[in-house]
Amino acid sequence: MSYVLGVMLLACVTALACALPGAFVVLRKNSMIVDGIAHAVLPGIIVGFALTKDLNSPILILGAALAGLVVVLGNEWLSDTGLLAGDAPQGLIFPALFAGGIIMVSTDMQHVHLDTNAVLIGDLNLAAFPAMILNGVNIGPEYLYVMLGVLILNAAFIAAFYSKLKLTTFDRQFATVLGMRTRVLNTAFMFLVSMTVVAAFKAVGAILVVSLLVVPAATAKLISNRLDHMLALSAVFSVVGALAGFWIAYALNTGTSAAMAVIYGILFTLVAIVEKGITRWRRGHKAASGPNELVTVRAKR
Amino acid sequence: MKMDACETRDLSVAYREEPVLRRVNFRVPVGGIMGIVGPNGAGKSTLIKAMLGLVTPLTGTSEFFGESLNTVRNRVGYMPQSASVDWDFPTTVVDLATMGTYGALGWFRRPGNAERKRAMDALEQTGMQDFAMRQIGELSGGQKQRAFLARALVQAPDLYFMDEPFQGIDAKSQDAMIGVLKELGAQGKTVVIVHHHLGSVLDFCDHVTLLNKTIVASGSGPETFTTENIRATYDSSNGAETFLTAAE
Repeated sequence: MSYVLGVMLLACVTALACALPGAFVVLRKNSMIVDGIAHAVLPGIIVGFALTKDLNSPILILGAALAGLVVVLGNEWLSDTGLLAGDAPQGLIFPALFAGGIIMVSTDMQHVHLDTNAVLIGDLNLAAFPAMILNGVNIGPEYLYVMLGVLILNAAFIAAFYSKLKLTTFDRQFATVLGMRTRVLNTAFMFLVSMTVVAAFKAVGAILVVSLLVVPAATAKLISNRLDHMLALSAVFSVVGALAGFWIAYALNTGTSAAMAVIYGILFTLVAIVEKGITRWRRGHKAASGPNELVTVRAKR
Repeated sequence: MKMDACETRDLSVAYREEPVLRRVNFRVPVGGIMGIVGPNGAGKSTLIKAMLGLVTPLTGTSEFFGESLNTVRNRVGYMPQSASVDWDFPTTVVDLATMGTYGALGWFRRPGNAERKRAMDALEQTGMQDFAMRQIGELSGGQKQRAFLARALVQAPDLYFMDEPFQGIDAKSQDAMIGVLKELGAQGKTVVIVHHHLGSVLDFCDHVTLLNKTIVASGSGPETFTTENIRATYDSSNGAETFLTAAE
């Protein structure tokens, strides 16, 4: 496999692996928790790297994902105590963890050679560098297979718990009365998100990973009336953005993840404008076509 | 002795330091509609949430048909406040109603045709069958409540808890819902309903509980829903004066 093809596939697979859980993250209004997770996993990654010396190590990925869970569980716990309201608990936890990570990086703790810049925005080209060789044949970047594993895990989890995820996301109280283990499911899901963030971190960095998780799903939500459509559209938008971002970065010789994030922003804006236009046109159409007082036209924010 | 549909003993709930319910003893006989009435902030919703385990009480226990909720979950249904969910969620009305079947599904199963059929039947009962394929955000306030009611009906429980089902509702939807409630009562089902419109309480409630952080009175409708008891319940908030003046 050529190096360019490898990087392109890596961009697509990483985007897809993020976009699937991203749909539920957006619907659960957890976007900023993901931002918190993305920052908080940094010390986990550094300690893990110091121990395993391998950023692709599953032990590192799982270990650092646990650090991300500290934000989720700590956030719930602090909210429950009633000491802080709203999203203040998150603001309290993740900067401290992130800052700890930054100090570890900059003091070169245990000789971890991680570039601060790469930590923030990642480097897809660098991530794709070590190739996987099977029987003497280059079958693409090693890291592509790490992300493929994460993608399969995410897809399998969502497929297996689809109904439960849907109900606990839409109406947690109702799900609880039905006897669903909403807290267990939520923790398992957030662990998966945390793991995805850790795995994608090397390619897209701690800040831009939020874009991959949130923006394709938010774009899909604008024009979806059903959850399965939203998931499918999230996947489509994530791949379209990855391909466009990759080729633009290739042509301009700039960072792939940054180009992807910009394209996602543009995609969202375009879809939002078109959706608003159609809604407005329909509203005018309905008003003109006679009384229909039972229907309130759906106003999207 | 006749068994109660539900009974709660010595229930106290506080949010932060603020007491919401104080030592509430509450029982609902099997069959008929029990209205929980009281001023804003009286703890009406909190009472049913604490009974259903959605809010952790400081003290108190609740039983349903003489057993713990975990043993008889399939006999207990819940219709939350309409405002508690995001109506922009990408799902259709029939999907929403189908969620009522999820409790009976195993961990990995998805609802199939049988479940959708039950959902459609329930939508028909509440007069919402023509809206089945609409996105839920396209519904009016009353239609949302009727879709929610359909989801509770799909569960087919023996005991229903409904939190302000007449909130933001039009006259047509109200009539449709009261029709369904009366039918449930006639079938021997029990409905516990949080309600705050005093004028319509005796239209459909067989039993009434007047609540303001603690129970002021509870019993059969006309005997309990008296001017004296209402005054005692709304004492500090004065919210009942318009109703009482009109009644006199």
